[in-house]
Amino acid sequence: MTTIDTTAPVVRPAATVGVTGVRARLGRSLQRGGWFVAPFLLLYALFVLTPIARGLWLSLTDANITGEGTSFVGLDNYTEALGDPLVWSSLGHSAYFTLLVVPCITVLAFLLAMLAHHIQHAKWLWRLCFFAPFLLPSTVVGNMWRWMFNPDTGLMDHVFHLESAWLTQKSTAMTAVVIATLWWTVGFSFLLYLAALQNIPPHLYEAAALDGANAWHRALHITLPMLRNVTGLVVALQILASLQVFDQVVVMYEFGPGPEESTRTLVQYTLEQGFTSYRVGYASAISILFFLIIAAVAVGRMWLLRKREEAVR
Amino acid sequence: MGQPGLNRRQLLTALGGLTVAGSLGFAALGTGADALASDARTRVRYWNLFSGGDGVNMIDMLDAFRAANPGVDVKDSTLRWGNPYYTKLAMAASGNRAPELAVLHLGRLAGFAPERQLDPFDTDLLAEYGVREQDFNPTLWQRSLIDGQLYALPLDIHPQLNFYRKDICAQAGLIGDDGNLITLTSPDDWFDALKEAKKVVKKGLQTIGLHAFDQNFAWWFFMSFYAQAGGTYYDEHLTDVTFDTGKATEILEFLRRHITDGYNIAGSPDAEHFMNGGAFVWEGGWSVPVYDAPKIPYGATPLPPLFGKPATQAESHAFVLPHQSDRGGAANEAAHRLAAYIVRHAVDWAKGGHIPAYTPTLTDPAYRKLTPQSEYASAMDHMALEPPAWFAGSSGTLAQRIGPVVVAANLGSTTPDAAARRMRQVLTQLLETSNPMGGGTA
Repeated sequence: MTTIDTTAPVVRPAATVGVTGVRARLGRSLQRGGWFVAPFLLLYALFVLTPIARGLWLSLTDANITGEGTSFVGLDNYTEALGDPLVWSSLGHSAYFTLLVVPCITVLAFLLAMLAHHIQHAKWLWRLCFFAPFLLPSTVVGNMWRWMFNPDTGLMDHVFHLESAWLTQKSTAMTAVVIATLWWTVGFSFLLYLAALQNIPPHLYEAAALDGANAWHRALHITLPMLRNVTGLVVALQILASLQVFDQVVVMYEFGPGPEESTRTLVQYTLEQGFTSYRVGYASAISILFFLIIAAVAVGRMWLLRKREEAVR
Repeated sequence: MGQPGLNRRQLLTALGGLTVAGSLGFAALGTGADALASDARTRVRYWNLFSGGDGVNMIDMLDAFRAANPGVDVKDSTLRWGNPYYTKLAMAASGNRAPELAVLHLGRLAGFAPERQLDPFDTDLLAEYGVREQDFNPTLWQRSLIDGQLYALPLDIHPQLNFYRKDICAQAGLIGDDGNLITLTSPDDWFDALKEAKKVVKKGLQTIGLHAFDQNFAWWFFMSFYAQAGGTYYDEHLTDVTFDTGKATEILEFLRRHITDGYNIAGSPDAEHFMNGGAFVWEGGWSVPVYDAPKIPYGATPLPPLFGKPATQAESHAFVLPHQSDRGGAANEAAHRLAAYIVRHAVDWAKGGHIPAYTPTLTDPAYRKLTPQSEYASAMDHMALEPPAWFAGSSGTLAQRIGPVVVAANLGSTTPDAAARRMRQVLTQLLETSNPMGGGTA
């Protein structure tokens, strides 16, 4: 299992080459498949690069949703965002969610994968059961769990006798979302783990068994180390996805901020600023800040991984 | 594989051609259909946010208008209530794709820019269609003016009400000689009444439902009693915060006491408890059809005046003219005619629990026959309103920020005085944020 390289092919800077050289080089690279990349580049520029550039510009203005009467305000929006307690508290909620979800999902996905890998009967059924929830849309998941946590008629209350108002008190509000999210998305990481388990060469286990290693030792000294790469991938993907948590939370709390504003995530706050208060400039500044945070996490993870790979060598 | 004479390239070309032709064809068909439907009549596009019972009533009124005005083609679109509606309206108005007529919550008016997003009504034209200033409650009319021009035409108000079960309250001795709830004028009166009611309410049911967890309701009930106590939010010019944390603490303690004294089970489905035999529930007027359906004996009054003068929170549906750069002519006149017609024929609208804004309706025998509507019509004279700031209005920024604070006090996770101070902070912070639609702060 290797990590997926999502970076676009980079054209080498040609500062030292003359214009004709550039043209020749461009012509060659086009012949070598540039035209095949062109549709992608076009869409990428249209739907990713342009919005980022425009968002960056908007974040420096006091634009409202109508786009009229916009003026340049420099870094005012950024100053305001850094001093806005709601930015920090909602960033805190997103981070808290991430902190809860990532370890749980990693461990759970691993255990489920081990289970599905070792059970000999009806393998397809296990895989289907664990993966199926992932196929549901977030609105369905959100509504379903909102009903399940209902204090009067919900499943949690009737079947498990957890007689607390899960969605209406601060102490359990985010946990309820975490539970729903685990159920919903564990299937994806489960599949990654299952594929990785199937990729471990059987002869390793045979050799270990011959040397007298029992099942526990084999799991500890063969399976776990062989899954190191995929664990890195699962953790990284989950961190990035969890920081951007939005849809299941707003559905479960009906676009409100949750009990005592304990579940408002940063994405939700950005939406409120942009589409309730109509402060598009300010909302853009918050999303640019958020983008920087997520990019920092991604780069930090790459840096950590690089060190570890060097250590392995 | 494949049919002779048709290679891949030809197939692709043919498919591409079909797609292009198809899209052009449908586009042409679309405009054709529009043109056919509109004929030579004047078209009025009308956006509203009424669904459920309100939606049915509105469509009935539109059909009546259509029958009376065959020369006007009303194209109504019902959109989802809340922020998505206002976002669409704001963007359409500034993008010059606006309809001729739309509905707005009056509290939102300050957040919409005059001239750029909304056009003023022609009051002479309205008078021609029978709608004049003297037909409206003065407070309501004043709220609809910006710089002396009428930017909104109020259709109704929808107040917060105290729904009570006549059968339960009679057993508790709370029904007067007129068959309605006795007058209660202080918090002590009120809790004494609740105490009596609790004795006759079945076990497991709450005595009163007050949507303790709902940030909107919590805020609306707070507003009502805070206004009764004479509390304000900002000074007249929206420059200083005048929020009285002492009064606010008193109101928050009052609301909290319903839960601590066991009259309310926070988080219960309030409507169900009431229909099954709870004594009271606080709800918006729009719940009248909900309680009419099961044929329970009930009445509804404005929220009881327990802290001084009567006041109950009320919002208002109003017609607006979204900005069109070429507004005028027959379409504009038809929009005025439609708005005036519906405002004047709002008896049917009142069945949905709203109080018609057009005051002659209130003396209409057909309206006076409606119960409990006629019992709470006085709410029109005692409206507790949000400050006229850009961040106010139904499901707006103010409710979104301040509502959760009231909920926290209701649930006891914040003390009433800490919540009152937090509310003041929210009000201060919002006042410091400049109006994104221009026009300085607030």
